[in-house]
Amino acid sequence: MRLITFVGIVLSIFLTVSCGERKTAKGKVYWHSEDGAPTKLDPIESATTYANRITTAVYDTLYEYKYLKRHPYELKPNLAANMPEISEDGLVYTIKIKEGVKFIDDACFKTKENPKGKGREVVAADFVYSLKRHFDPKNSSQGSWLWRGRIVGLDDWGKAAREAGTTDYAAKIKGLQATDKYTIQITLTEPYPQILYTFAMGFASVVPQEAVEKYGKQLTTNPVGSGPFMLKSFNKTKAVLVKNPTYRKEVFDIHYEGYDEEKHGFTGIKALHGKTLPIVDTVIISFMKQDVARWNSLNKGNEIQFGTIPKDQIDNALMSKKPPKVIEKLAKKFHFDYERESGFVFSVFNMTDPAFGYSDDPKRNEMNKALRKAIRKAFDWQGRIDVFYAGIGEPFVGIIPPGISGYSEFPKDSITRDVEGAKKLLKDAGWTAENLPVFEYPNAASTTATQFFEQVRGWLEEIGYPRKKIKQKEFATFGDLNKSMKERKNIINSYGWGLDYPDAENVMQLFYGPNASPGSNASNFDHPEYNELFEKAKPMPDSEERTKLYKRMTEILLEECVGMFGFSRTRLKLWNKNTIMYPTREILSNVFKYVDVIKKDKKKKKNTKADGNGNAGDANNSGDAGQKNTENKE
Amino acid sequence: MDTLRYTLRKLLYSVPLILGVTLLSFTLMVYFGPDMAYEKLGKNATEEDIEREREKLGYNKPFVVRYGNFLTSVLTFDFGESFSTNQRVMDMFAETIPVSIMVALPGFILGNLISIIFGLWAAYHRGQRLDKTIMAGAVVGMSISFLIVVIVFQLLLCSDYGLNMFPTTGWEVGMNLEEFNILDYFEYVTVPAICTIFVSVGYNTRFYRAVFVEELTRDHVRTAKAFGCGPVRLLFKHVLKNSLIPILTRIILSLPFVIIGGSIIIESYFGIPGVGSVVYDAIVNGDQPITKAAVVCTAILYVFFLTLTDILYQVVDPRISLK
Repeated sequence: MRLITFVGIVLSIFLTVSCGERKTAKGKVYWHSEDGAPTKLDPIESATTYANRITTAVYDTLYEYKYLKRHPYELKPNLAANMPEISEDGLVYTIKIKEGVKFIDDACFKTKENPKGKGREVVAADFVYSLKRHFDPKNSSQGSWLWRGRIVGLDDWGKAAREAGTTDYAAKIKGLQATDKYTIQITLTEPYPQILYTFAMGFASVVPQEAVEKYGKQLTTNPVGSGPFMLKSFNKTKAVLVKNPTYRKEVFDIHYEGYDEEKHGFTGIKALHGKTLPIVDTVIISFMKQDVARWNSLNKGNEIQFGTIPKDQIDNALMSKKPPKVIEKLAKKFHFDYERESGFVFSVFNMTDPAFGYSDDPKRNEMNKALRKAIRKAFDWQGRIDVFYAGIGEPFVGIIPPGISGYSEFPKDSITRDVEGAKKLLKDAGWTAENLPVFEYPNAASTTATQFFEQVRGWLEEIGYPRKKIKQKEFATFGDLNKSMKERKNIINSYGWGLDYPDAENVMQLFYGPNASPGSNASNFDHPEYNELFEKAKPMPDSEERTKLYKRMTEILLEECVGMFGFSRTRLKLWNKNTIMYPTREILSNVFKYVDVIKKDKKKKKNTKADGNGNAGDANNSGDAGQKNTENKE
Repeated sequence: MDTLRYTLRKLLYSVPLILGVTLLSFTLMVYFGPDMAYEKLGKNATEEDIEREREKLGYNKPFVVRYGNFLTSVLTFDFGESFSTNQRVMDMFAETIPVSIMVALPGFILGNLISIIFGLWAAYHRGQRLDKTIMAGAVVGMSISFLIVVIVFQLLLCSDYGLNMFPTTGWEVGMNLEEFNILDYFEYVTVPAICTIFVSVGYNTRFYRAVFVEELTRDHVRTAKAFGCGPVRLLFKHVLKNSLIPILTRIILSLPFVIIGGSIIIESYFGIPGVGSVVYDAIVNGDQPITKAAVVCTAILYVFFLTLTDILYQVVDPRISLK
């Protein structure tokens, strides 16, 4: 009896403790979850979506995307006072930054005159310094490629630093200057219309030199920015951001941000119009790689407020897949939305591999092309989507995903499975079971990777490829696989490409000859006409003329059969009904400032009537209101 | 004095052992570990960039020079900065090892205590239904994968589908004396501890039972029984006490894993910032500074605990001489 009483007391203590609000944070707290974790938060190395989201929350970028305007995305000034003045030849960009913006208070600013380390004003020279850091040979920048060869004198500055063994940040660069305290002038080597997109990326965050000098490599855990939040703590499982008390006055204008009642009404975001940003006091970001744990946490109701539907729960969670719609039980608890990723998954052949790619022998070259086409015909996109992507979504023809500028329609034969056609191609080209080359499918060791391989093997066997000639080339880690790809040792590479910015140029460069491995052109495709067209289109902004060029380039890719493309996965997102936001993990990054959380209000609880203004109260009361109007989607 | 002399001699003998461990692990890292140069430079690096990065990472230096640098870092106990995170390795360990110990220790202690009790109980009733029941339970515990145990207990105790009593994720436990709150600690450690106990009790009970069964057949136990010694006194005074040497060996030699190993599964499912995931990620990504530090710390801890075990042997059995 005593034991039962003791257990009862202990359990009641736990119940009291566990069900309480998060204890450490004060004010409004938004608890976000991610399915991966960032490793570094130094802007020059913040290459992942996870890192980028935090980096852009704590640092300022010149531009950012309008929060609600998606497909197409639209840039707006952030630290910049307005959109840039661009010279007629498209080479000179003059950008004014906002006056009076302050870095957070930090020890790096401590001087005799400033013993408390009050944050100083952000000036144009800070941006110049931050961009130079990418070209400092001491650093390992992951973003320098965005500006490599683009800004007059920047590469030479880096080269001089390499040769001298020291970096002179005071040295002037002709194409990258702060002409006065608040004006940045950038001179390009050739027109680069995408440059403004790059200034919205975390890589272009503005960092004070004092912080880099004080913290060195430890800047990664000591960010000193001027963004809406400050980093309070960061480890492998969690990052905590708190409101930056010195953040400039910024008001949420939903109409300017692209509000559309039909698209966004269900979120209750209308209620946030006119609110000062950031709205919440604390953002907790849990890095939860385990789907089960993330799902359990989301469903608890008092832990993470945002999550995705894990693959193994999709059949239970959705009442329909086309379009995706969650079951009523979830619709009552959560807001639901889905979004096609701004990127795609695809497979490309290594065109430098003599067995499948280019050959000096014209006859073999034709045979190889037929072999690639036969493999493409064997590829069953629908089978892949059904097995690995829960049957949600459609493949697209070509390499530019729908919704991205430059997209064109093509006949569907390159994504249509045709086993008989594949067999005929092989036969006509002279391929037999005896002379077919060994097909080695590379992947990083995992159950899913093996399942991918087995599916491909099944398809190839159907077209007459001997089983013993289809092999799995398994690597212990993704790093090993990546290295093998970069060293051009794989015959085929299957991977995903997330767009760095919403412009097709970011996709077309994937097949530009000079970008071959170790660059981003993993197929090592090097086609004179394609290269020429790419160079011609490179300085063009999005236009009909450029789309025509991209269309021809895509036709070349399809004709040469560089690979099997493509498919953009669909993200299924759920967020707690006490949270007002319109979440995304595509393109946009500085999004936490727009999030609001409805705190429990006992008085309000009694009054069950909604106020009729379309605020979050409305959304909370209706199960259906929690689902997006799917008719307007995709 | 003998103990001190023995300890010093043992530590001296451990130097070649540590050198051997470092050489072997370093060789494996150099020739079979992942190359971080590509990962550090992202998706659009040039060959020149990669070459420069390899130079920075020290990959281009001769093996002997690299191993020499490793030994220097062992001597100074400064393993530099992580290749992946840029954080100082020893700072990362200082932050994460205490967390791992706090997570693992309750399960480790309770798991061993429960196993010893079950082992004694089963051994005393050897061949009887109770013995068979305990052994069957142990086999069940051993047969279920740790991953399944973690998922099931999380579902049962932490989720909306079960009792929903404990947090699914997080570690909001003050890591210094001023902030530490015992209730917070219990809140976050209970389910991981239950998982650890569930899995460890199976293995440990079988081991301890075997030790106790052997001890129960000894003359002094039979004599004690003949003198009318009761089961509790018999088990705890005559059996357990005389079985302490294998028990100590098992427990103490598991401690380095508790301290450095952490538990990658527990940490990743419960969102606990321990050392397990740090070391795991380092091995997978080829983050050599962290891997080196983990290898060296584990080797040193092993030497320390081996020495401690030898000293404790003498404490529990004074007939043992430290020579």
